[in-house]
This record gives sequence, structure tokens and C-alpha cells, in this order.
Amino acid sequence: MFKIDFEKKRIKRKLILASLFCALIFTIIIVTMIGTMGPLGGQGVPEKIPFQAVLDVLSGKGYLWPDVYETIILDIRLPRILLAVLVGCALAVSGTTMQGLFKNPMADPFLIGLAPGAAVGASFSILLGISISISIYSTPFFASVGAMLTVFAVYIIARSSGKIRVETLLLTGIAVGSFLTAVMSFMMYMAGQQFRFMFFWMLGGLYRASWEVVVIAFPVIILGVIIIQLFARDLNAITLGEEPATHLGIDVEMVKKILLIFSSLIAGVAVAFTGIIGFVGLIIPHMMRILVGPDHRILLPVSALAGGIFLVWADTVARTVLSPTEIPVGIITALCGAPFFIYLLQKNKKGRFVSHAT
Amino acid sequence: MLVTLLKIDNIDFSYPGAKILEDVTFEMKSGEFLGIMGPNGSGKTTLLRCLSNALSPQIGTVLIDGKDIQRLSKKEIARNIGVVPQTSSVDFAFAVSELVLMGRTPHTERFKSETTHDFEIAEEAMRLTNILHLSERTFDELSGGERQRVIIARALAQEPKILLLDEATVHLDISSKFEILNLVRNLSKQREIIVIAVFHDLNLAAQYSDKLILLDNGKIASMGLPHEVLTPENIQKTYHIDVIVKQHPITNTPYVTPCPFAKNSEDGKGHTVHMICGGGSGSNIMRLLLDNGFKVTTGVLNVLDSDFVTAKNLKIPVIGEIPFSQITNDSHKANIKLIKKANFVVVTDFQIGAGNLKNIEAAEFALDSKVPVIVIDSTPISDKDFIGGDLEKHFNQLREHQAIFVKNPKMALNIILKEAAT
Repeated sequence: MFKIDFEKKRIKRKLILASLFCALIFTIIIVTMIGTMGPLGGQGVPEKIPFQAVLDVLSGKGYLWPDVYETIILDIRLPRILLAVLVGCALAVSGTTMQGLFKNPMADPFLIGLAPGAAVGASFSILLGISISISIYSTPFFASVGAMLTVFAVYIIARSSGKIRVETLLLTGIAVGSFLTAVMSFMMYMAGQQFRFMFFWMLGGLYRASWEVVVIAFPVIILGVIIIQLFARDLNAITLGEEPATHLGIDVEMVKKILLIFSSLIAGVAVAFTGIIGFVGLIIPHMMRILVGPDHRILLPVSALAGGIFLVWADTVARTVLSPTEIPVGIITALCGAPFFIYLLQKNKKGRFVSHAT
Repeated sequence: MLVTLLKIDNIDFSYPGAKILEDVTFEMKSGEFLGIMGPNGSGKTTLLRCLSNALSPQIGTVLIDGKDIQRLSKKEIARNIGVVPQTSSVDFAFAVSELVLMGRTPHTERFKSETTHDFEIAEEAMRLTNILHLSERTFDELSGGERQRVIIARALAQEPKILLLDEATVHLDISSKFEILNLVRNLSKQREIIVIAVFHDLNLAAQYSDKLILLDNGKIASMGLPHEVLTPENIQKTYHIDVIVKQHPITNTPYVTPCPFAKNSEDGKGHTVHMICGGGSGSNIMRLLLDNGFKVTTGVLNVLDSDFVTAKNLKIPVIGEIPFSQITNDSHKANIKLIKKANFVVVTDFQIGAGNLKNIEAAEFALDSKVPVIVIDSTPISDKDFIGGDLEKHFNQLREHQAIFVKNPKMALNIILKEAAT
């Protein structure tokens, strides 16, 4: 009886996972089609790429259509969509992990100072002007260095006699974060001409997407997500509290370190290429927890897929709604995310997923 | 089934600057239930945490079947030891069945999911703890007793040889307390599990434990069978309160009733009050007098009288008489002797028959020797007269000799306090 119930649960979970995967593929194909391109030859009205053309290009029959279609689909839209999938996935998985680790429903990937750290790094490179002079990757590079250094510093400060208390980590993260925010505000104040670049970077967006970026982000994010997944059961135990987890045979300190490092790493890579995109890491885990429950063995992959899907759609809105200009995707995620989050809180006031002491 | 041996060998534990445990040594084997008691800060929880390897003692070892627990991996320890804390909180909406299945974590490898065997063990644990019907509920929907049963089920799913309970019933209502402890005791007997439970409630500890350890300042103050450990002397030494230890009427285990002195005042100035009482009528006022700084003596009481027992427990000098016999002349003389030394005599409301009539004569003697006598007279004289109607005559005589008649013990106390003050 007991076992059958669990088998049913497993089948249900596999179905949800499979349908989300299909939804992702479907999303990628549909979204590739959405958007306008400037009028061919610089004259007439903007036109759309026909659906058939998208399918043909994606299945390697692009020669049937004008070359420009292939260029737009393969070199502009596809890397951007894939980056959106990767970043959405990274932010959602990182958020799910942080929420479990901190036993705090308000936790997100940027909780322990990652965002201001990245922002300071990025602002630094913009301010020095090296973003243009040396390489287009210098801003992402500085952002990720800033993010990782911050997380590392928070970690070192919060550590006492080889142990990390999550409460201390949280507070240290907030303190270091506010310090860096002040540094960044000062840099922006002094920035003059470059202010707009900094501001734009902070709002986040996928406009830097290219195949090169996808090739860098892909292995890091996928590796991070897989490693976190391997510790899903341990994460379940840690949500019960550190001492109960120890009594279940979990090496809590080791697991905490691994999960912190890899969830920061994937979020750091995401931030490096896309700036700060809020709310994905906060609301996707919540929504998915309502859908599949709190077991991280299913929650993590489901959040990964849902995060990818959500960010792809948010980015599509961002690049089309005011076409030909695009608005930062962070604005879209916050605009949809915040009201939806409030709705969820209202609906779940009884606290099925909101943390509460007993 | 193999017998498991748990050996705690001479462990010392200190936090920087504070020694918590010292020279703790004991042994247990399968199926035994050990209760650990002691005042707050005596090291009970620390001892339990050393046993579960949450803390490492600086000196000494914890051995399970001869193996040092510190050399076992965390998983191996979790396969041997289950822990039930005081309270648990589950912040995420895990179903009860999922929580219990987590108990299989130490038996499952990282890359594998639970097997049929794991499901069977978890289901059996839920059956034993009677929570199968709660399977799909979440933790926050459960009552305190149900929650503890879930935590116990999870610990059982670990298939432990040793179960540690850290005041696991302290927040539960009285029926849940017994339900949980009955469950754990049965498990320890049926499944041959070593149970070590920290108790605050001495009577629960006595009722459920095979053996008890009384900790005081990190040392074992007393160890042994419940009636050997729970003596008024041991409890006075560790908890610094006076208690009466009786036998539980049904289980025959020791039953501890605290009778702490609440020294309200020193207004009694060490004056002595002699009590003439019986049938429990004097117990309350004995306490009141002691609490106010008086010395108390009493007599003559037959040794089965509840006032006699109270006087003994309160360490009040008392003249005893064999039950169902008349007060002998020797006892009467001893009583008179105490009255002569007393500053006041109190006569309480008790039934007077041929056997104890001499006590009233003793009161008359007190008046003759100018010792003030206060008579508590709240029941009609006919209710306490077992000498065929002559009692009224005796009472009138007391009145004539200026005995003070009052309605209740409180008034008697007030009069004595007033007199003592002058």
C-alpha cells in the first residue's frame, strides 16, 4: 500500500518533469519565431519570419529560405534563447538551493551578497573603460570575479572554528551586501557618461548573448546543476535542521559547503553575462514547491526547467513589447513576479510553504 | 538477535572554561531503558549529545559493541543511533510518509533511490507508532503527540540499536506523555533497543526506566534501580528540595512528591508550638508554622495516622503510639514534657475517642501550666465526640481556663504570630 502510493507519486513526478521538458522544447521553437526583423534591404515595413522557415532552419534546411533568416535564427535568436534557458535554470536552481539551505522562503540566489558583488565588479570595468578597449568579456569577467570574491569573503567572515552557521552567513551577507551597494552607488555617482551603461547592466538583460557566451555558460551551469542534484536528498534532510540532519547521517558541514559553492557559482555565471535578473530565483522555487512538493529530488529539476521556460518568455516580452528597442528583462520578471508572488502569499496564508516556527 | 553493548567509558566534556561532564561511566545492553535525570545545567543533554556524537568528549570513549563511535562514519552512527529531540519543526510541507522515509537516508546510497525494502521498513515503523493514517498529512497539521510519533517513526526507520530521547515528552499533555513513553518502552522490550531518555519528571523516569542515573554538576550522583536512586537524601543533595518518596499505588515504582519549604518569615522567632492533632487535621498548620519560623512538636499520634507521617516527613519531633491502642502513660508523660517546653499549644479539629482522650487532658494540663492553648473548632462537637457525649464537658473546661477558640487554622496562626510578636 505504502509502496504503491510512492510509486504513484514517482510516476506523477516523472510526468510533470516530462511535460515541462516538452514545454521547454516547444517554448524554444515558438519563441524563435517571435519577433520582428528590420525591413529587408532597409525599406518597407518590418516583417516576421514564417513558422515554416523556423522549422526548416532548425532542422538544417535553411537553404530553402533567404540567408538572413538563417543568420537571425541561428546567430541572434537561438543563442539568446539558449542563454535565457541556462540563466533561468541557474537562477531557479540556485534559489531553490538557497531557500532549502537557509530554511528561508525569502532566500534567493543573491541573498549572500552575490548581486552587489557582481555589480561592483561590472561597474569597476565600465568605469575604467576596459569593457570596450580590451574585450567584450571584460565586464562579465569582472562581474563574476566580483560575485565570487564577495561570496568567498562572506563565507570566510561567517566561518567560526570550521563551521558555518546559516544565520551568521545570512547576516554577514546582508552586511557585506550593503557595504558593496554603497561602493557601487558611489561609483555610479562618479561615473558621469558611463552611468547609463552601469544602470543598464544592473537592470539585467540577455542582449549580450552569443554562441561564445553560451559555450562558456553551458558547461559551468550544467555541471553545477548536476552536482547540486546529487545532494538533493541531503538538502531535504538539512531543511529539517542541522542537528536532525546529522542524526540522519548527513555530513552537514560538507554538504553546506558544496551547495553554497555550486549555487553561488551558477548564479555568479548567470549574473556575469546577464546582469541582475531578479525574482526568477525567488518565485520559481515557490511555484514549483506548490506543484510538486518540497522534495528536492524532484523540486530541483522541475525548478530548473520552469526557470528556463519563464526567463525565455520574459525575455521574449522584453525584446518585442517596445520593438525595435528592448527593455531590460529584469523589469519584466519583477513586473510579473512581484504581483504573482503576492497572489501566492495571499492564497497560501495558512503557511504550507511559508516558514513558521512550531 | 545479537545483544548490543553500549559502553560509556569515563567521559569528560568541557566547553572552553566550563567543565560540563566528568568521569561519566556506565554500560547498557539491548532492551534496557535508562532514565537520566538531574537539575538544569547538570549535563543531561550534553551527555546525550556526546552519545550521539554531536559532541566529542575530550577524554574517554563511547563504545558500541566495542567500537569507538568517533571512528565510525556519520552514516554508520546514524544506522546505530536514532535521536528524538524535545521538539522538531519542519518548515517545508513534507508529507508524514516522506519524513519517515527520510529515516532510510543512512541506509541509501547517493546515486540510488529507495528500494522495496526501504518502503517496508518505513511502513513498519509507521505501523508501530500508529501513524499510518497520517501518511499524507503535513507536519504542521499534527498535534504535539502525533509529531513526536512521526519523529520516533523516522528514528525507527533508521533501524537503530540505540534510541536517545531528549526530554521528548516535556511539551506534551499528560495523556500524550504516557502514550509516547508506553510506545518507547514497548519498542525497547520487543525490538531489544537500548533506550536512553532524559527526564525532567522524576516520577515518569521512575515509572518507565529500568535503571536511573542522577546527574549533578556533570557527575553521576547516583546510579541504579529507581528505588535506589530516588531517595529523599539523593534528591535533597542534587535538587536541594525536600521530598517525600512513596510507592506508586499501582506500579510500585517510587513516587516523589516535593514538599519544599517556603520560608515566608522569621516571625515565629523560633518559638515552639506543640500540636495536638490527628487524622490529618494538623498537617496543613504544621507546614504553615514551619514556614513562618516556628519550631513544632507534636503528640501523641498513632503511627498510622497521616499527621504522624507528615510530622515524620517534616522532621518534626513526634510521640508515636501503637495503632488502635489507648495512649499509654509513658507516651502521655512524654507529651506533657514537650508541652512544658512549648510556648503555645494548638488543638486541631479531630475525632476524640477513648484512645486519645488523654490528649485533651494534656491540653488542660497546658492551660494549668500557663501555656496558651488555641483550639481550632470548626466542626460541630457532636461530629468529633466518640466518647459518648462527654467531650462538650472537656471543651467547656478548656474554655473556662482561657483557651482561645478559633474557626480555622489561619486564624490560629494569626493569633500565635501576634502573641509571638509581643
